[in-house]
Amino acid sequence: MADFTDDIFFATITELNAKLKARAFSAVELVRAFAQRLEQLGPRYNALALPLTGPALKRAKFIDSELKRERTRGPLQGIPFGAKDLLSTAGHPTTWGARPYADQVFDYDAAVLQKLEKTGAVLIGKLAMVELAGGGGYNIAGASMFGPGLNPWDRTRWSGGSSSGSGSAVAAGLVPFAIGSETSDSILTPAAFCGITGLRPTYGLVSRHGAMALSWTMDKLGPMCRSAEDCGLVLEVIAGGDANDPGSAHKSFHYTPQYYRQAKDLRIGYAPVDFAERADPSARPAFEQALAVIRETGAQLIETRLPDLPYGALTSTIIVAEACSIFEPLISSGKVDQLADPKQIAGLKGGLEISAQDYLKAMRIRTVVQQKIRRLFADVDVLLAPTRLGPAPKVSEPLDHRPPESTMPKDLGLSTLIPAANLAGIPALSLPCGFAGGLPVAIQLAGPAFSENVLLAIGKEFQARTDWHRKRPKLE
Amino acid sequence: MNDKITRRRLAAAALSSAAALHAVSEQAPAPDDLNATAREQVRKHSETLAKFDLPMSTEPAFQFKA
Repeated sequence: MADFTDDIFFATITELNAKLKARAFSAVELVRAFAQRLEQLGPRYNALALPLTGPALKRAKFIDSELKRERTRGPLQGIPFGAKDLLSTAGHPTTWGARPYADQVFDYDAAVLQKLEKTGAVLIGKLAMVELAGGGGYNIAGASMFGPGLNPWDRTRWSGGSSSGSGSAVAAGLVPFAIGSETSDSILTPAAFCGITGLRPTYGLVSRHGAMALSWTMDKLGPMCRSAEDCGLVLEVIAGGDANDPGSAHKSFHYTPQYYRQAKDLRIGYAPVDFAERADPSARPAFEQALAVIRETGAQLIETRLPDLPYGALTSTIIVAEACSIFEPLISSGKVDQLADPKQIAGLKGGLEISAQDYLKAMRIRTVVQQKIRRLFADVDVLLAPTRLGPAPKVSEPLDHRPPESTMPKDLGLSTLIPAANLAGIPALSLPCGFAGGLPVAIQLAGPAFSENVLLAIGKEFQARTDWHRKRPKLE
Repeated sequence: MNDKITRRRLAAAALSSAAALHAVSEQAPAPDDLNATAREQVRKHSETLAKFDLPMSTEPAFQFKA
């Protein structure tokens, strides 16, 4: 029996795969070790929605029989993982993090889970999330039937949302990787707050069949991992066309960063004001250091700004209008009142008043956003900004607690990159880049549609020069 | 299936964390205020969008492809 130490629980997919191949342990042993750890420690961070230890061990036994016969399925074979509880799993509850759906059971697996199973990855549990992925606009960390997502670096801090359990489970070494979802910031924020690497793919690259719909035109699924390389390995498996997803781009993805331009050949757009003035003072040294590392790669840093457009009003109008159409039965039945966050309840009810005229206007302006963002990439290859301007907020504080805009520089820099990039449907990668007051902070790289390999190549180089992604929280 | 933890037990465990949030929710505005704020937000966004001039030829991003 192998000795499962933290070196295993915090190993990358590539490292675990090498050990499985070398027979340092079996898939059953690996899956059992992670599943027990997830069951034991997951509730400590309100990260676990549903353990799937039984089916996982059965699956792992099959994987072992394949490995014995030298039937290999790729680097994810035998690797345990967790999935945000908005992905349907046949015969098991899929709650969407919301009390009104606590007993909901589907009879099919989400497309991403089918793909992962085919390559031999083993689902060991469903992971907690903000209720309905926060579509109505939430203001408390406790906006989930599983309680507030607690950060493994400090349990008085929020893990981020809405992929809260995915973020904290990877950070605490409870799963080697997890699947999260992002409509606008739900992969990047928990990845940044928990100190892990998260990739939001291009809209349409990953099938959403079997995932809760929040906003048809903005929902994306993506990997949350220990490294940029792991994100690439997982994305290769989950990407691809799907006739069951009307938003599918019908494109596949092959993780081949070696064939893409390296950092030294790239023009990276950034706004100094983001790093030096808009960022939380405690986080500025880490962000400045991250900028220095990017400079060391030889990349050309070019000052840039986002087009001046009403990104906040656009994302809110589009997401809430689509969410209110999707959840109209929940709202009209009154069951919406069972949600945990009063602001989210009010947001969904109020959203019914968004007019068709406003929704169409927002979608027309969105066309302009897409055109202008595309044009921006004529001058730069990727954009660089802090993922979040500071570390995770306290669980006990309202989430919209932030310095008044009047105290901030008028220059917005790239501070609206997350809503702008989500409206444009372009990919982004969040990379841990240091600590502020003992809590992780991160930078994000955003690129044109389907530029995931470029982002991952820069991410891999950044992580070859730093070890922030290797840091482990001391679990209380 | 060998699930030792049920969702019911997890939800109960979450209640203890929810206690930490009690102070926040005690200070939270009343539902009527929140409803009014939400409606006000919709109105403000509507005003923001109305100010934005678009050429007649600009179509909504319905056939959305990144």
